[in-house]
Amino acid sequence: MERRDFFKKAVVTAGSIAIGTNILEADETTQPANDRAVTPIAFPEKRPMIMYSDRPPLLESPREVFTSALTPNDLFFVRWHMPMIPKHINTSTFRVHINGLVNKEIKLSLNDLKTKFKQVELTAVLQCGGNSRSAFHPTASGIQWGAGAMGCAKWKGVRLKDVLDYAGLKEGATWLGFNGKEKAVYSETANFIRELKVDEVNEHMILAYEMNGEDLPYLNGFPLRLIMPGTYSDSWIKMISDITVTQKKNKLLFMEKAYRIPDNACECETPDKIVEKTKPIEKINVNSIIGYPKKGSKVRKDAHIVVRGVAFDAGAGIKTVRVSVDNGQTWNKALLDDGTAGNFAFRTFRYTFAPKKTGKLTIMCKAISNNNEEQPLAKDIQWNHGGYKYNGIDEVILEVV
Amino acid sequence: MLKKLLLVSLFLLPLSAQIEGDIKVPFVNFPMKEGKGIYSTRGKCNMCHSFGYVINQGKQSKAFWREKTIKMIEVFNAPISKKDIEVVVNYLYKNYGNQEN
Repeated sequence: MERRDFFKKAVVTAGSIAIGTNILEADETTQPANDRAVTPIAFPEKRPMIMYSDRPPLLESPREVFTSALTPNDLFFVRWHMPMIPKHINTSTFRVHINGLVNKEIKLSLNDLKTKFKQVELTAVLQCGGNSRSAFHPTASGIQWGAGAMGCAKWKGVRLKDVLDYAGLKEGATWLGFNGKEKAVYSETANFIRELKVDEVNEHMILAYEMNGEDLPYLNGFPLRLIMPGTYSDSWIKMISDITVTQKKNKLLFMEKAYRIPDNACECETPDKIVEKTKPIEKINVNSIIGYPKKGSKVRKDAHIVVRGVAFDAGAGIKTVRVSVDNGQTWNKALLDDGTAGNFAFRTFRYTFAPKKTGKLTIMCKAISNNNEEQPLAKDIQWNHGGYKYNGIDEVILEVV
Repeated sequence: MLKKLLLVSLFLLPLSAQIEGDIKVPFVNFPMKEGKGIYSTRGKCNMCHSFGYVINQGKQSKAFWREKTIKMIEVFNAPISKKDIEVVVNYLYKNYGNQEN
């Protein structure tokens, strides 16, 4: 295995700033960017997507994919933290190591995983904690994602719990550290390692080698990644190589500093008064997105439109999606799919109506979970410096002619 | 016999890799605005990561660019000397700043 290969400079093309030239706006949360074009050049195993960086690769899914329950692998968003990721994985020599406070240190091959353990399948949303960060003002810290730093896939693999049981946890085993094969250029110390408490492991967490019935794409963590349904994707380690069991929590940059929000009731702060005490972002907020129609499209008066989108939360499940076509004065129930994909999956919705007058028309959608958590209006979302956990009511403006 | 063969081939199927050989991620050249400090910034930042990673943070304050530059040195061992810190910070702020210190 070549662990530290640089990517070859294969093709030279002009990249551009994906961010718009925003005029300075009032310090109020707005809608996330919704007008970015896909890049003309496709990345490996991907169709052209919205591109923010090539090293590390950062790709956003275009909104149209959010009309479907499953996001196609070749349009699934990509987010790496380190510029160096292996460009080749040998599937016969690849091993995931389970070490530390275990009865026997083990190295499992892909074949071991596929033959020695119970195979499980689970459909779950993978969403970056910074999805829709571009909605925050003043500009929050991090990549200015639109709404497409997320997707939903059917994952197949083995339960994390079964693998840990196989190795056997020793007395005092308290923390699990997960490490993948991405590397910084210089430092050995700042690996993107994430930690999880042993007692937080649940039956839904899996080590997945398959996504929507195919191998994981390289850029989504081939050949094996951690799936943690209901949580933001910062701990869904890609190309997972080591699971280390310890008694004490390690001091890790990517646990202590990154992907954290103010530890107060509103999870908010102001640029002048950054909150010192922070907590991990963890559970996904209830959310919904309009995949169709597209912003700025023209529709005919009296012609029926089918609005389509997806709704999801951290696993309670979606109770209702309501749609408004009169700027939020009245909200009507959308039709939901049968929900058989489970509570961690996208729940697709549709709402049919015919615009009655010409001019600008705003379509809004709002999801309500089985916990009765409800999306707030975008303007009511309070700021945090990392621009995490945005879940404002989505709006798409059309023109009726 | 046939059944046995079928079983064997089914078993082998998932082991074949989707991709043979190496993947190639395209190199993307993000044009940088001309200005004082462009050479140091290009040399010091782009050797490890894409300039897209920088400019797609959005327009940011001088304090933001300074904090990030120092983080790159302290955490990722970026080879930026003390005197180059301000050169890089000033270039980023002047060309990709939000007018706030």
